[in-house]
Amino acid sequence: MEPNYEALDDDGQLELPAEPMRLNMGPSHPAMHGTIRMVLELDGETVVDVDIQPGYLHRGFEKSCERGTYNQVFPYVDRLNYVSPMLNNVGFALAVEKLCDLKVPERGQWYRMALGELARISDHLTCNSAGAMELGAFTPFLWCIKARDYVWDILEQETGARLTHSFGRVGGMAKPPTEMFKESTLAVLPAVEEAVLEAESLLLKNRIFLDRTQGIGLLSKERAIALGVTGPMLRSTGLDFDVRKATPYLFYKDVDFDVPVGHDGDNYDRFMVRFEELRQSISIIRQVLEKMPTDGPVDCPDLRYVLPSKEAVYNTIEGTIAHFKIVMEGLKPPPGQVYSYTEGGNGELGFYVVSDGSGTPYRVRVRPPCFHNLQAAREMLVGDMIADIVPTFGSVNMIGGECDR
Amino acid sequence: MPTFKLDGQDIPFEAGDTIIRAAWKQGIEIPHYCWHPGLSIAANCRMCLVEIKSARPMLLPILAWDDKKKDYVEATKPKLQPACQIETAEGMEVFSKSKQVIEAQSAVQEFLLLNHPVDCPICDQAGECKLQDYWLAHQTTSKRKETEPVHKPKGVRFGEKIVYDAERCVMCTRCIRFCDEVVGDHVLDMRERGNKNEICLSPGRELDHDYALMTEHVCPVGALTSRDFRFKARVWFLKSAPSVCNGCATGCNTYVDYDPRYQRVERLRPRDNPAVNAFWMCDDGMLSYHRFHQDRLLTGRVKSEGAVAEVGRTEAVQAAADALKSSKKLAVVLSAQHSNEDNFVVLKVGRDLLGARHVFLGALDPVASGWKGDEILKNADNNPNRAGATKIAGVAKLESTAALAKAIDAGEIDAVLSLGFAAAESAEVLASLNKVPHVSLSTHPGVLPLLATVVVPVATTAEASGTFVNAKGMTQGFQRAVLAPGGIKAAWETAIEIATILGHDLSMKKLPDVRAAMPALAAPATAPSAPPAPSAPAAGT
Repeated sequence: MEPNYEALDDDGQLELPAEPMRLNMGPSHPAMHGTIRMVLELDGETVVDVDIQPGYLHRGFEKSCERGTYNQVFPYVDRLNYVSPMLNNVGFALAVEKLCDLKVPERGQWYRMALGELARISDHLTCNSAGAMELGAFTPFLWCIKARDYVWDILEQETGARLTHSFGRVGGMAKPPTEMFKESTLAVLPAVEEAVLEAESLLLKNRIFLDRTQGIGLLSKERAIALGVTGPMLRSTGLDFDVRKATPYLFYKDVDFDVPVGHDGDNYDRFMVRFEELRQSISIIRQVLEKMPTDGPVDCPDLRYVLPSKEAVYNTIEGTIAHFKIVMEGLKPPPGQVYSYTEGGNGELGFYVVSDGSGTPYRVRVRPPCFHNLQAAREMLVGDMIADIVPTFGSVNMIGGECDR
Repeated sequence: MPTFKLDGQDIPFEAGDTIIRAAWKQGIEIPHYCWHPGLSIAANCRMCLVEIKSARPMLLPILAWDDKKKDYVEATKPKLQPACQIETAEGMEVFSKSKQVIEAQSAVQEFLLLNHPVDCPICDQAGECKLQDYWLAHQTTSKRKETEPVHKPKGVRFGEKIVYDAERCVMCTRCIRFCDEVVGDHVLDMRERGNKNEICLSPGRELDHDYALMTEHVCPVGALTSRDFRFKARVWFLKSAPSVCNGCATGCNTYVDYDPRYQRVERLRPRDNPAVNAFWMCDDGMLSYHRFHQDRLLTGRVKSEGAVAEVGRTEAVQAAADALKSSKKLAVVLSAQHSNEDNFVVLKVGRDLLGARHVFLGALDPVASGWKGDEILKNADNNPNRAGATKIAGVAKLESTAALAKAIDAGEIDAVLSLGFAAAESAEVLASLNKVPHVSLSTHPGVLPLLATVVVPVATTAEASGTFVNAKGMTQGFQRAVLAPGGIKAAWETAIEIATILGHDLSMKKLPDVRAAMPALAAPATAPSAPPAPSAPAAGT
């Protein structure tokens, strides 16, 4: 309610209204990552109620997918969770491959795992360091982003792009690993570990950081399950659900890693779960690089779905026809529908794809982890102070591109 | 109807049907190159091989790879039979998707591509090529041969209209059979064997009969290409509209293939209709699409004191209304080149609203325009809608434009509203038309527009939907393909505009209104989109 200026008393004193104040936060607020609007009901500085309104970043992603070929969807999925595009690329590729019953060669699968985990590192580094920065800790932010840049250097070296790679393909990847992939990745990982360690050393003994994260933004295990929360947010409540462990895809069953869990589901737990997952990712990458064959195909050799090599296109009629069919008409999965799900940066990233047998998807539906995670944000914010919105919302790690699609 | 089983599905058939034809009638395609529903059976491509269940199967001894023993072992496989040649029988069980059949199709496909050149990027057939489609559907692997392919003649001129590429040819002999069976002209044949096999012309001949472009149409691959369409457009950019040929009174069903980006018609091809043209079209018909874009009337023309001025369409419509305003003895000229809808509205405006008492018909004279009919498809009359225009007028026969000239000389007529460019007589014969105000609604320059005081451009059959009545009295519809250039409208819409300026209300705004007001003609008998119920393969009409 607006203060009533006309009813100023003789002293010029402003009466504070007794009723809750309604305050608009976002969509153009620096802490409302990726344009979210929150309509707050405040009693003093306490959040009584909050209406969270997503949709400001809606791009019509799902509808856009219905007009191109399957491989033309990859640039769109890059822009879902744009902090970890490679995970989305791999997720969508796996969905279409499930539809086509394609099996990607071993080397390609290991490569996908390595790139995916690099993307996860980039995702968690961004989330945690930005969260710390929003609480005033600028140094850990700079250190972590420096480490993220190293990771992006590798992704750039492999894919040609730092952020929107568009690197996945149905049946494989756009290119095989570069010669220096293993070497450069192994060189970067210690730098990431060091950055995480340094960031932690600055934060975990910091009174301000602890006060503003511990016991703030609480989410119970039961409510998390009821609201469909997945990923680090669910694990912070103490449940060890991780798609990579629960229903292993690629070669996740062949690598050794732990699923970190929290206790209370507060901001601190989410922060710690992400940093620990980051270390697990580093460990996964080391195992992957050890097991990944240095030679062999990355792409599935099925010419119905995967573009032949340029040499074959220029020299054989079969290659030319395959190229023509895939480029002009698109690969054609058999009619049917699949739901395929992977562990994205924020939790279960699902793709529901319907094929009518043509070269264009009939329907692509995304289950974005953020959208479900965002549902829980209201319960986490109500009862806390207005200043707690920033770290709590930050730890939800809502990514607009994915949430609104 | 007796039935047989194809992959577990009951397929009805008529006596004498082959497996492939019975399946085709049901809309099921058994892959094939050489078989064509309108031609005799050659059974030479071997793509349609199927497995037929038998109490005494004929088993062929083969060596099959055994994965456990890591060696070839002796085994048998059922002998496959060509679906295009085997007649159906009651209770027959046919498998077109069994393991052996799939292997055979893949092997045939591999053979056909063995010496095929890497031509897709420069081949006009790409995008509608059976080799491409069947490779995706039935082979999907690379060939095992690694040696240089056999080279054969490329770009051989087969006459004025067709170019032959022997390397792309799969020797299905469809073109040979088409010339023999439909045209009755054995101009094509085959020479050599195996790898060196190629199609050749009869000595001293060229592929110059009136159905040469059809050989390109029946060619399942890019071996025969039409010089008219070569390198002009890529087929995947084209869209199709069902239409009816303008060339003669046969009214062959066609598809108008047009490029929506440039709103340009690129080719015509036959649309199957057993009652009219079966699967065929003549060359003149297939090339008649050039008319849609060549030598068109795009602006209005107004003649005053002997000089012709080009004006915009709106001014032309206004000038047309002015020319007809004070007429007391109007004559209407219908057109055998225009649709029933155009003729109907022009007649309604002229006769019912402006009080015309004389109705004539403008039509091309086949002899003067060098047209010759034949026994196959080409009708002796090269006007597509003489029957329709006559029916619309409600008389047994309409008088020609020569009679109009006479009537003008006799002073019976003080103004003319004419439709179309066509007139059977020359401008000299019709010179009397100069004496009276004359409004011509025309698509092209011609005798009538030449003699008109006011010419208003109108849309062709590619630019407006409508119906024709062919020589057999069948009403057939065509759909608009491209947009008319420069705001030009159909003749019926233009006629309504003129009538509106003259203060008449026709209460017809859209095509359905016109059709509702039109006298009932035979129901449109356009070809169904599903495979038509095939009759005897003879294409004669």
